[in-house]
Amino acid sequence: MSDTDIIDQLKQGSEAAFKTLVDTHQKLVVNTCYGLVQNREDAEDIAQDVFVEVYRNIDKFRADAKLSTWLYRIAVNRSLNHIRDNKKRKWFHSFEDEVAAKNREVMQVSTSNTDEPEYELENQQRAIILREAINSLPQNQKVAFTLSKYEELSYQEIAEVMDLSVSSVESLLFRAKKGLQKKLYKCYKKKCL
Amino acid sequence: MKCKSVHNKLIFFLEKELPVSEMEQVQKHLDECSECARFTAEMKNTLQILDNDKVNDENPFFYTRVKERIAKQAEEQPAVRPVLVRILQPVAFSILLLLGVYGGFKLGQAPKANIAGSGFTEQEVIPYWNELEAEPIEAFLMK
Ligand SMILES: [Zn+2]
Repeated sequence: MSDTDIIDQLKQGSEAAFKTLVDTHQKLVVNTCYGLVQNREDAEDIAQDVFVEVYRNIDKFRADAKLSTWLYRIAVNRSLNHIRDNKKRKWFHSFEDEVAAKNREVMQVSTSNTDEPEYELENQQRAIILREAINSLPQNQKVAFTLSKYEELSYQEIAEVMDLSVSSVESLLFRAKKGLQKKLYKCYKKKCL
Repeated sequence: MKCKSVHNKLIFFLEKELPVSEMEQVQKHLDECSECARFTAEMKNTLQILDNDKVNDENPFFYTRVKERIAKQAEEQPAVRPVLVRILQPVAFSILLLLGVYGGFKLGQAPKANIAGSGFTEQEVIPYWNELEAEPIEAFLMK
């Protein structure tokens, strides 16, 4: 069943069409949310709301638009709202503070779990640094980076979702990578773990 | 190539996004500089986490949860209110509010005039208030 068929049937109130839509696009939406909020539970929570929004607004969906573009946009908007709402309590923490705090949590868990191999811990620490480095990116860069890395969208596709020119997307991704590189180097130099 | 410029290009080197000549220059530096090579290895390992960090498994209860949310929201706010009520209600409420403000000004002025004119006591002013309270505000808000 094509996206157009799914949408036609959904507009006529087909329950089965909605299930197909959710099943076939669940991963896309959850992954996008996850890339942005960097937390699995929150990502699923937001993703569920994305599909609720789709269900309620299906009548407003233009027949000539691309379903995935619409889904990406709702997922991005909702994730950014979520980040904004959660930011208030975090704004005064620096990147290094966040990494150190997260690391303490990991260390506590892993010292209680003695048979965990050391490389596993190292990778967990790398994941923390990466996560916090991504989190510290400016909003637009983070969106472009997520769509590129987590969803492997082309520059053209990212441009469509973000309603930007391809060259703007190129520039966002360039700056995002520069920013990540800087953060990773800082952490490496300072041995922030 | 100096260490600093290698650091600035490393992520693009790892992503193979540099022009061929620069790719070669960075590689040459890494072959000679152990410090940069170590950082490169660390950065590579860190960036590789992204590849495994994606959500690959699907939550089997996902659809059910979505349906639950839709049902719950439909319960909380019944969307089938007649259009007339949806429009008239705020209009009626606004009119009432304006009347209230207007009445308030009137009340503020009336007693003064009366007191000045014929020396009404406070108690005699009270009925104004009571009458105003008797206005069926709630009735306007209900169907
Ligand atoms: Zn070097």
